[in-house]
Amino acid sequence: MDVTLRAVGAAAPSLRVEAHDIASAWGARGRGSVAVCAADEDPLTLAWSAATDALAADGGDAPTGLWWGTTRPPFAEGPSWSYLAAALGVGPEGALFSGSPHAGVEALLAAWDAVAAGTVHTALVVASDALVPDLGSSFERRAGAGAVAVVIGTGHGPARLTTRTTRSRPALDRYRGDLESATRDTYDPRAIRQLVFLPEVLAAAADVAAPADATWSLPDPDGRLAATVAEHVGGTDGSAEVRAALGETGAAAALLGAIPGLRRPGTVVAVAHGGGRTTAVTIVVDGHVPGADDAIAALASGRSASYAEALRSRGQLVAGGESVAMGIPPGSAMFARATAELLAFEGARCVDCGVINTPPSVHPACTGCGGAKLEVIRLARGGEVHTFVVNETMPAPFVAPLPIVVVDLDDSARVMTQAVGDGSGVDIGTRVRMVLRRYAIERGAPVYGMKALPLVAGG
Amino acid sequence: MAWNRVAVVGAGLIRFGELFSQSYEQMAAGAFQAALGSVDHGIDPTLIDAVFLATQRGTLWGQEGIGGNTIPSALGLNGVACTRIENACPSGSDAFRIGAMAVASGVHDLVLVIGVEKMRDKSTEEGLLARAAGGHPIYNRGETAPVLFAPFATRHMHEFGTTREMLAAVAVKNHHNGSLDPYAHFQDEVTVEQVLATPLVCDPLRLLDCCPQTDGAAAVLLVPADRAHDYTDRPVYVAGFGVATDHPALHEKSSFVGLPATVKAAERAYAMAGVGPADIDVAEVHDCFTIAEILDIEDLGFVEKGMGGPATLAGETSLTGRLPVNPSGGLLSKGHPIGATGLAQLTELWWQLRGDAGPRQVELHSNFALQHNVGGRGTGVSVVNILTTNNGR
Repeated sequence: MDVTLRAVGAAAPSLRVEAHDIASAWGARGRGSVAVCAADEDPLTLAWSAATDALAADGGDAPTGLWWGTTRPPFAEGPSWSYLAAALGVGPEGALFSGSPHAGVEALLAAWDAVAAGTVHTALVVASDALVPDLGSSFERRAGAGAVAVVIGTGHGPARLTTRTTRSRPALDRYRGDLESATRDTYDPRAIRQLVFLPEVLAAAADVAAPADATWSLPDPDGRLAATVAEHVGGTDGSAEVRAALGETGAAAALLGAIPGLRRPGTVVAVAHGGGRTTAVTIVVDGHVPGADDAIAALASGRSASYAEALRSRGQLVAGGESVAMGIPPGSAMFARATAELLAFEGARCVDCGVINTPPSVHPACTGCGGAKLEVIRLARGGEVHTFVVNETMPAPFVAPLPIVVVDLDDSARVMTQAVGDGSGVDIGTRVRMVLRRYAIERGAPVYGMKALPLVAGG
Repeated sequence: MAWNRVAVVGAGLIRFGELFSQSYEQMAAGAFQAALGSVDHGIDPTLIDAVFLATQRGTLWGQEGIGGNTIPSALGLNGVACTRIENACPSGSDAFRIGAMAVASGVHDLVLVIGVEKMRDKSTEEGLLARAAGGHPIYNRGETAPVLFAPFATRHMHEFGTTREMLAAVAVKNHHNGSLDPYAHFQDEVTVEQVLATPLVCDPLRLLDCCPQTDGAAAVLLVPADRAHDYTDRPVYVAGFGVATDHPALHEKSSFVGLPATVKAAERAYAMAGVGPADIDVAEVHDCFTIAEILDIEDLGFVEKGMGGPATLAGETSLTGRLPVNPSGGLLSKGHPIGATGLAQLTELWWQLRGDAGPRQVELHSNFALQHNVGGRGTGVSVVNILTTNNGR
């Protein structure tokens, strides 16, 4: 049975840091730039964003399974998958893959198997990453972030997953030991390149017997492997433009690098490598894949940031002193009651008068008419700023300026949330899109909720 | 309404400020002594048969709970009936309302209402600003006190053309009044230019658009009106009061140019007193931020909705204006020790109605004075008390 690829979405984090700025802090030189998560972004929020775009581009039957690959799940141990599934409204089938940059393609293979086996009709595959490199390493100047999502299923589609091959060889290159926070990139580059990278990747590439004009997505663990492999295999390295935009994106790299090839008919070969495993997947594109153009456009967004801001956002530069604890601990009953309604951005609509009350768990009665007949709905994701402030005065861990907006959503609900960014571009009447962001890391646990993303004029 | 008339026969406060050298208990004792000392014919404190204590937030100085027994022993009144009232920023004014009801009901004959608040024993970051991390983990995240009012300033400016200069005019007026008030935290005049040059605290509010963090205590003594002349020849009577609530989250506001809780509380107080806004000679209103006073004077019916800014700029609310507002300096200049605030406002009005306000004395016509607080989550609770020297009402 053919498994088809129906739609794609992608997300890039907000910050771009010049490799030169990173390198010069350590007395070295660098070229290009890398994408880095803002303090309220992480692989889960990026995954949500890419998946939301892919689902919007698809418009077909909703997936009943979520397969997600990332080297940096927001909980090293915890409810990463169930949080993302709740935020997307996808499940209950699926799995989270991690452990190496090979994880993204492992998610694709597992989803492919589930669709082929009939476990699900439609699957959502997400690969996202935000690398946290060792400070001062050459790897740091290449370490990026990004996310990609594809909807796969049976039946007719603009692209087909056709062949796949996986190899395995126990070898150590990039790694992070248990209890370590940063990823080490301390292997002998010439030795591993000659003994592992080149032979494994070239063998996997040869196994799929791609046509000469194939578009390739190639792994680039050391900053030069992709270029060398591209010379050997011929065709086009479509992943080069994605790497130029984002840097090395870990588990997201193989599928992100395939997006340029999804924009036109042809054959795409996505090759993933990591943790000693190498996989090549062939995708035959019969027509333009919905979402591919928007996905490429999404990668171009982002604002310049200093190295210091990048370090702070990544949690590698931490202010001294005390910070204020969240009044409600993440492990408490309130979170158990409310996490699902926050992730799914739910309201309670009054059956009698239509007023939407947010959030449902604190509204047994309607604020409009006092009635008690309420139905839980997913709130609209678009809206307009009714009024706003920019808070300049807060204790750590808050960082000023912090815009807080009252938004009139397109379904008539009104919510007050934080806005993404520093408040510039926010005014009464500004259009916003509600996006999932990380509000805090509290007692080690990420806390997620919706924020208002101001849309630039015409956006 | 069948209630026994209630009189205020004593009122007093301590000088507000950052009172690092005084404990919560010492501040309370100071206000208590000031109130006792203000009773014209003297008073026997052992006759006090009920105490209502207003303290809003013990956690600001490290107390998880402040029970009714926290204060009596510090006042030398151990054993007396005492209940703590907590109702957000109107805690003091609501304690007054409840104390008045205890007398009006005929149950108590001499009631002490005392408000005490330690705002500055903890650093700002660990004290008041820590509320940025309190409440709902998402919908209240980052909601420091100015966030409760600044969105109203943004919207009021948008809908009515209210300007930052009009906001600043509130601060200029109240700091002028405070410069004449020996009990005020700040006793310096400021100019519009100075206000506009202060740093942004929560855009559009700047530092001098905000009240300070102030320690303080204030107390009043209530008796049945028919016994008032045992204590004074110039009693002040409780004419009416009202309390009202609104939804607790800011996003549940129907509008951002007024506070429905204030409107409803005022309606109830006016109806109880049998008066309207035109009968009020002087008002102490909740100016925790400059925009708050503009909202208040509109919601209380002193000016038309939207005209609070121009009216302030035109001097209508100055000491010599049509309706003097916040002659004490208001929260902006006198300070806002939450539980004490309402009782300090009532003390000012007690002085004003008795003609004892010295250089701050306003002209009296109808002899009615109005006191107002609003606050809480989503600015969702308001209390209005109306005092008068007119007997028979």
